[in-house]
Amino acid sequence: MFHPLAWVLWLLASASLPLLIQHPLYLLLTIGAAWLVYQMVRRVSPQAALWGSFIKLALFVWVFTVPFNALSVHFGEIVLFSLPSDWPIIGGIITLEAVVQGLLGGLKLVTLLLIFAAFNSGADHYRLLRLTPGFLYQMGVITSIAVTFVPQMMAAGQEIREAQTIRGHRFRGLRDLLPLFVPLLTGGLERAVGLAESMESRGFGGNVRAVSYGEELLTKLGTLIALLLALAGVLWYSYSRSSVPTGLALMGLGAALLSGVFWRLSSRVERTRYRRGLWRRRDTLLTLSSLALGGGLLCIWLMQRSLLHYSPYPPNPLWPDFNAGLGLLTLLVAVPALLLEKKHD
Amino acid sequence: MIKVRKLSYQYPESSRPVLQDLSLDIEEGEFLLVIGPSGSGKSTLLRCFNGLVPHFYGGQFAGELRLCGQDPVAVEPRGMSRYVGFVFQEPEAQFVVEAVEDELVFALENHALPQATMRKRVEEVLDQLNIAHLRGRRVSTLSGGEKQRVAIAAVLTLQPQVLVLDEPTSQLDPQAAEEVLDALVRLNHDLGLTIVLSEHRLERVAQYADRILYMPGQGQQPILGSPRQVLEQVDLTPPLVRLGKALGWKPLPLTIKEARRHAKRLKVQGLKVKGFGVEGVKVKDKSFSIEVHDLWYAYNGHNVLKGVDLEISPGEFVAVMGRNGAGKTTLLKQIVGLLKPKQGRVEVMGLNTRQADQQAIIAHIGYVPQNPSALLFADTVRQELDFTRRSRGMALGGYGALLETLDLSAHIDHYPRDLSVGERQRTALAAVLAADPEIILLDEPTRGLDYRQKEALAAFLQREKKRGRTVIMVTHDVELVASCADRVVLMGDGRVVVDGPTRAVMTDSLVFASQVNKLFRDARFLTVEDVLENSQV
Repeated sequence: MFHPLAWVLWLLASASLPLLIQHPLYLLLTIGAAWLVYQMVRRVSPQAALWGSFIKLALFVWVFTVPFNALSVHFGEIVLFSLPSDWPIIGGIITLEAVVQGLLGGLKLVTLLLIFAAFNSGADHYRLLRLTPGFLYQMGVITSIAVTFVPQMMAAGQEIREAQTIRGHRFRGLRDLLPLFVPLLTGGLERAVGLAESMESRGFGGNVRAVSYGEELLTKLGTLIALLLALAGVLWYSYSRSSVPTGLALMGLGAALLSGVFWRLSSRVERTRYRRGLWRRRDTLLTLSSLALGGGLLCIWLMQRSLLHYSPYPPNPLWPDFNAGLGLLTLLVAVPALLLEKKHD
Repeated sequence: MIKVRKLSYQYPESSRPVLQDLSLDIEEGEFLLVIGPSGSGKSTLLRCFNGLVPHFYGGQFAGELRLCGQDPVAVEPRGMSRYVGFVFQEPEAQFVVEAVEDELVFALENHALPQATMRKRVEEVLDQLNIAHLRGRRVSTLSGGEKQRVAIAAVLTLQPQVLVLDEPTSQLDPQAAEEVLDALVRLNHDLGLTIVLSEHRLERVAQYADRILYMPGQGQQPILGSPRQVLEQVDLTPPLVRLGKALGWKPLPLTIKEARRHAKRLKVQGLKVKGFGVEGVKVKDKSFSIEVHDLWYAYNGHNVLKGVDLEISPGEFVAVMGRNGAGKTTLLKQIVGLLKPKQGRVEVMGLNTRQADQQAIIAHIGYVPQNPSALLFADTVRQELDFTRRSRGMALGGYGALLETLDLSAHIDHYPRDLSVGERQRTALAAVLAADPEIILLDEPTRGLDYRQKEALAAFLQREKKRGRTVIMVTHDVELVASCADRVVLMGDGRVVVDGPTRAVMTDSLVFASQVNKLFRDARFLTVEDVLENSQV
């Protein structure tokens, strides 16, 4: 698989497509590319989740968005039928254009979901968590515990529900929650204590290097100044339209200072990492293609936004235009499929 | 290696100390087995070794404790992790991350070891515990035995000198338990690792232990000595040792191999058998309490039950045995109507589970889940029992005799979760039986119970059976089955492989046979009582 950083970058670049584009042909192309990626990732990644549940979710979302738009927007030339106009919101003409628009809106969501599904099937969540800087490590561990804890709780809940059902428990009112929740809660607490013991006896949470009072103060001051700078930048940017660059510069400065402080903080935690996180040629290639995709999209969005948009409503034609260049750019989503070898590595 | 002097400890909200003036020396490379009834302070003592007691629990700690020259009270559990590896009871509750390999390095990363060292250590422990094939797996996909071996590997990466295990096999089935214990024996023999293990299954480990520490609890002084010495004085023993003691075998046999010599002599001395042959399954009449016919069931696309046929008459005591994943639990769920057959038919007291109302079916059934804590929620034992009766629309009270036989009368107003493991198990049993169901289903009722508690449970179930109740018990516990069930249904791969009287099935099997039966290989002898009643010493 890819290095988590390269993989996240691919997700960001690919997800920006359905976020920025409102055009069925490019979206369909993106879906095709995401499917291709999923097919390849599934072969090499041991933790590839089933794509089926994502497809189901996507179709569900789609089916729900179409009538919503079709029934609430009463605009267009090709009238399918009409509902009595005195009905609130849904009353009026129902047009093909509104249905198409609904389909399109749903398609965007579906595309986003499928890209995420492809990402998810190739993502190692634990390694992703490890991308967090050192001083946030504890937070990362807590999240990873939650990830393993939740399925256990669900299984325990199921067991309790079944046992109480056979005992004759029926749900009639709020009081009947007790036989289900009390065992779940106490069981969960017992398990949490067990986990805490296990972590403690494996040396978790120690080894923070002691620092001088001066350095402690410095990092605190640094954090405060950085946050103030960023806040000032945001305010400047939003209220003073004339000097946008100043606002942006202030924000950038704040962010830079903050990351400096974070870096100092993380060097204080004495921990090492086992995973080398190999950065291979394919990661470089994927990063380049993701940057090209994201950059290209941003350029088009800034300079020729109309290319990305399609509207079914008149006076536009119902059949969308297609720009070959943009189509090719969309296909960059499929790059991971080309970079992965078939065999397991 | 470990030096304990006049150690006393009392939990914060407790009225009397768990440990009192305990003195003990454990030598380097020793395999010490800690036994005793539940609640006798075994876990507490083990937790002293790495400082979890008193650091994690508070309370009053007195006396002196040294481990590898370190004082766990001063060094704290984090620091002690370099010297002591600690493995817990519950396989699931000790994992921090999902991937096996990451779990192995968790402790190393916390101690900031260089990457090269980590790689070397990981490879080493993978080989030491024979789990190299599991390295890429997720923890949640492992079997119980694999999980415990990973847990052991995860503490061994720090190369501790002592390995402390708190009942590591009590939640496992016999095969998995054997895997774990084998691994421990190997570590002890090959690496000379000092091992301190608390364990209920003496029949598996007593032979490997160098010494046994027996903690009787209730303020009595513990006994420490060689396995034979200690087992001689203690009545918490496996059937084989009990038999040896009753017949005065010397030296006391710990394994079947050692006992066989004595058994041969016993036969030569003229064992007189008061003829009881193998009784067949009596089919009293055509009415069955449970009738399963050609039952098929699929889960996630693969068949879990493949044409199960089973008929159980009222008043029968059936043990359902078999490997994990053989479909035992699924069959239970089919019987209570939680699952419906994909094909075939299940009838409970003449009600077809596919058509009948769930409430009508469960009115006949009492089900005790694997984990008794899944049932208990109320403030007192009495409320638990009342809840069941109210749920079934029965009058409150009227369970005095039940509490009496289960020895719970004294606890009727106690909080169930404060009770000991055995008492909690009995409370769950009482809560279910308060409704006086005709059919009693039990799923692994002996997990975490000691020999005495198991005996009590077997006697109680026998009594229920004599009252005409149908008892169906899913279990791995061969000794329990030998002592109380009259029929064994052996399942394998979703089918009933063997179905017959306990004596016949056990004598015919190498794995599913009790210790006594393995010793004599004779259908007349399943339990110690069988032998004692029929021999004249």
